Amino acid sequence: MEVFRVVIAGVGGQGTLLASRLLAEAAIRAGLPVRIGETYGMAQRGGPVMSHVQIGGGASSPRICPGEADVLLGFEEGEAVRRGVSYLRSGGLALVNSRRLPPVEVISGMAEYPDRERLMALLSRVTDNIFSFDATALAEEAGDPIATNTVMVGALCASGRLPFPEEVMVEALREAISPAYHEINLRAFQRGREAFIRARSG
Amino acid sequence: MSAHPAAVDAPGKVVLLMGNEAIARGAVEAGVAVAAAYPGTPSSEIGDTLSRIAEDMGIHFEWSANEKVAFEVAFGASMCNQRGLVAMKHVGLNVALEMLNVVSLRGVKGGLVVVSTDDPSQHSSRTEQDNRWLARLNCVPVLEPSSPQEAKDYTRYAFDLSERAGLPVMIRTVTRLSHMRSGVALGPLEGRRREAAFDWEGFSYRVSGFERLFRRHGERHEKLDRVRGEFEALGFNELKAEGGGRLGIIGVGFAFNYAVDAIGRLGVEDKVSHLKLATPHPLPEGLLARLLRGVEGVLVVEEVDPFVELHVKALAKDVSPGLRVYGRMSGHLPREGELSPVIVGGALAALLGAEAPCRPREELEAEVRELLFDRMLTLCAGCPHRATVYALKRAVMRVKGDLRGVVVNGDIGCYGLAHAPPLSFEDTYFCMGASIGVSQGMAHVGVDTVALIGDGTFFHAGIPALINAVHNGAGVKVVVADNRTIAMTGFQPHPESGRTATGKPAKPIWIEDLARASGVEHVEVVDPYDLEAAEGAFARMLEADGVAMVISRRACATEAVRAMRPERPVPYRVDPGSCIGCRLCLSAFGCPALVWMDEAGRPRIDAALCMGCGVCGQVCPQGAIAAVEAP
Repeated sequence: MEVFRVVIAGVGGQGTLLASRLLAEAAIRAGLPVRIGETYGMAQRGGPVMSHVQIGGGASSPRICPGEADVLLGFEEGEAVRRGVSYLRSGGLALVNSRRLPPVEVISGMAEYPDRERLMALLSRVTDNIFSFDATALAEEAGDPIATNTVMVGALCASGRLPFPEEVMVEALREAISPAYHEINLRAFQRGREAFIRARSG
Repeated sequence: MSAHPAAVDAPGKVVLLMGNEAIARGAVEAGVAVAAAYPGTPSSEIGDTLSRIAEDMGIHFEWSANEKVAFEVAFGASMCNQRGLVAMKHVGLNVALEMLNVVSLRGVKGGLVVVSTDDPSQHSSRTEQDNRWLARLNCVPVLEPSSPQEAKDYTRYAFDLSERAGLPVMIRTVTRLSHMRSGVALGPLEGRRREAAFDWEGFSYRVSGFERLFRRHGERHEKLDRVRGEFEALGFNELKAEGGGRLGIIGVGFAFNYAVDAIGRLGVEDKVSHLKLATPHPLPEGLLARLLRGVEGVLVVEEVDPFVELHVKALAKDVSPGLRVYGRMSGHLPREGELSPVIVGGALAALLGAEAPCRPREELEAEVRELLFDRMLTLCAGCPHRATVYALKRAVMRVKGDLRGVVVNGDIGCYGLAHAPPLSFEDTYFCMGASIGVSQGMAHVGVDTVALIGDGTFFHAGIPALINAVHNGAGVKVVVADNRTIAMTGFQPHPESGRTATGKPAKPIWIEDLARASGVEHVEVVDPYDLEAAEGAFARMLEADGVAMVISRRACATEAVRAMRPERPVPYRVDPGSCIGCRLCLSAFGCPALVWMDEAGRPRIDAALCMGCGVCGQVCPQGAIAAVEAP
C-alpha cells in the first residue's frame, strides 16, 4: 500500500503525543506497519512539538520529507502554519485548531501574534483544503479542554483518509485511555467527527 | 490499567514501543537483575519504563545520584554474575567515563550493557558529542540499532555478547530513535535463573593476585579481536551488493533509514550497493572489504561524527586504494549536525547526477519565519523558579545597586531558562554542578557571583564543589532552586524527594543538613512564593561573609497541579478597576497564564493555566491581582 503520512503540530502540554499514539495503536490493530517520529526537546516548557506518523510499508525513517504529508493535524494556529507550509503536500488536508497559545515573546511584549488572515494565507499557498475550527471549544463542551486531541482525531477520522475503519480507531482509543476518561474522550471524538462532517456537507 | 507493554509476557505479540522503552524491554527479556540510570533527554524513558515495571519483574532499578554511581551499581551486580544495565544521555558518560575506562580493562562477569543516547544537533544538550569515540577509547563494542525493534533485539543480544567477550557493551542510540515509536514483536522473558555469587577468581586481589588483575591492556585487545570476528558473521549487518560497482552506501545505525529511503525515493535500488552497519566498533573489516572492493566510491551515512568514515578510509588504503570515500569529511554531507531525509537524499542524488528527491519550500518557510515568532521555551505557569529568580534580581539590585553587580553562574535544569526574557538573569551554565565550581575561581580573583543550582543537580555534582568552597575559602553565594524533583526530564525523584525510583518511601536527605555539615555557616530555607521573604533571604546571603546558601524551596508547579487532580487550583484574576495597564506582570515576570488584551488595555489570567501561586499578585504594584475566591 501507499504510505499514509500525517504531521501533527502543536505546543508542549497539548496532548499531541497521545494523538500520534492513538493513530499508531489503531494502525497496529489493523495490522499495518507504523512509525512515529517525535520532535519535542524540552517541550514541557511550552515549546513547539511535532509528530510525524507514517502508516503502511515502503518507508523506513520516522521523518517525513518536506511536502509529503497527506494530512496536517494542527493543534495550535501558529504551529499549524509553521509545520504545514513545510510538510503538507500540495492539496493535502489541513485540520487546524483555531485556538492560539501565545508564546513568551508575545506575553512579554517582544513580538505580536500575527493576524489570522496573514497566517492562514501562507498555509493556503500549499493547499485550499483547509478545515479550521475551534477544537478546544468542542473539547470544553465535551467536558475537558485537554480532550482537544481526541476532537482532532475525530475530525481526521471523519475525513475518511485514514487507512483503517472508524471502529478500529474507537477501539484503540478505549484501550489507550484510562476508563475514567472514556466518556469525555468519546464525546470529544464525536464532536470532532460531527464538526468535520457538518462543515463538509454545509 | 493493563500492564506496561514492556512487561507483557506474550512472545510474538506486536506492541507499540518507543525506542527507549524497547531498550528497557530488551534488558527485561535478557533477565537484567540490576539497572541504574541518571535521567537526561533523550535517555530518560529507559529509566521511566524500568521504574514502572521493575518491582513486578523482580529487578532492582534506581535513579542514581549521578551516572558514575549508576555505572558502579550496575557493575557491582555484574561482578556477582548478574546482568547489569546502566543508561544515560551522551554527556552523562563523561561523568561515568572513569568507570567505563577501568571496567573495560578489568572485564565483566554478568553481562554489562551501557546505553548512551546521543543527541545530534543538540536538541536538548550542551554538545553533540559522539560517544562511539569513548567506546573506541576504551575497547568497548558498540551496537547501533535503527528501529525500536532493533533497539530491543540488540539490547537483548548485547548482554550475551558482553558475557562471551568479558567486556561491557555499548548500545548507542540517537534522539530520533530514542523518541521514535513503532511496532515491536516481543520476545520471551528469560527471567533470572542464576545464583548471585561474587567472582573471586575474576575480581579479587586476595584470590587472583594484583598483577594478574591489574595490567590487562593486551587481554582487552584480544577480547576485542574476538568480538570483531563475531561481528563479521552477525546477521544485524546486512550487505546488499547486487546494485553493482558504481557507488556503495554504508548506512550506520539509525542513519541507515535515511540512506535506504533516499535509495527508494530515487529509484536506484539496482544502481547502488549498500551495507546496513549495526556494529561501528569494532568494525567487521572483512565484510566491509567485500563492499569496498566491489565499488568505485562509497558514501558513509552516520550520526554525528565521521567515525566509520575515518575507519573506512584507513581500511580502504589496504583493500581498495583507489576508492573514493564520501561523507562528512569529504563535504558531501555536513561536517556537523543531525542528518535528515533532505540532506541524505540530496547527497545521494548529487553523487548519482540525479535531481534531489525532496526539496524544502525554502521561500515559503522564510516568509513564515519573517511573520511568526520562534516560540521560545519558558518556565511553566506558576513555576517557583520564576519567583526565585525574580526575587534574586530584586535582592541584587537592592544590595549591589546594579544587576551586573554579580555574575550569575547557572546550572543544568529548568532554571537554566532564567537566561531567557523577560527574566534575563543568568550569565553562564556549562555542565552538571559547574555553577558552584566556576564561581570559586571568580571569587578568588575578586569577582562577585551567585551560583544558581537546582536540587537534583546539587546532589549530582554540587556537593564536592560546595565542600571545596568551604575548605579553600571561596566565599561563594549559592542559591538552590529546590523544587524537590528532577523536573526537566520528567519528575524523577532524587535523594531529597522522599521516594525511590519505584515509588517506595525513602528518608529525605535535606540539602540544608548537607550544607551545614559541610561547614557552611549561613544557610537559609525560604519559600519563593513569598517574594518579600525570598528577597530578604537573598539580600542577607549577598551581604554575608564566607560561603552562604539560600535554599528556595517549593514543589514543582506542574507536579503540584498533577498531584491535585482531579481538583483544580483556585485561579487568580485581574481586577479591571484597579489595573492601570502598566504591563509589569508581563514584561518583568512573564508567567504564561497572563494574557494581554489589546482592546481592554490590560491583562487577563487564563484560568486553565493559572495554578494559583499568587506571585503575580505580589509583583503587581497596584494590588490588582487576587484569588478568584478567598482560599
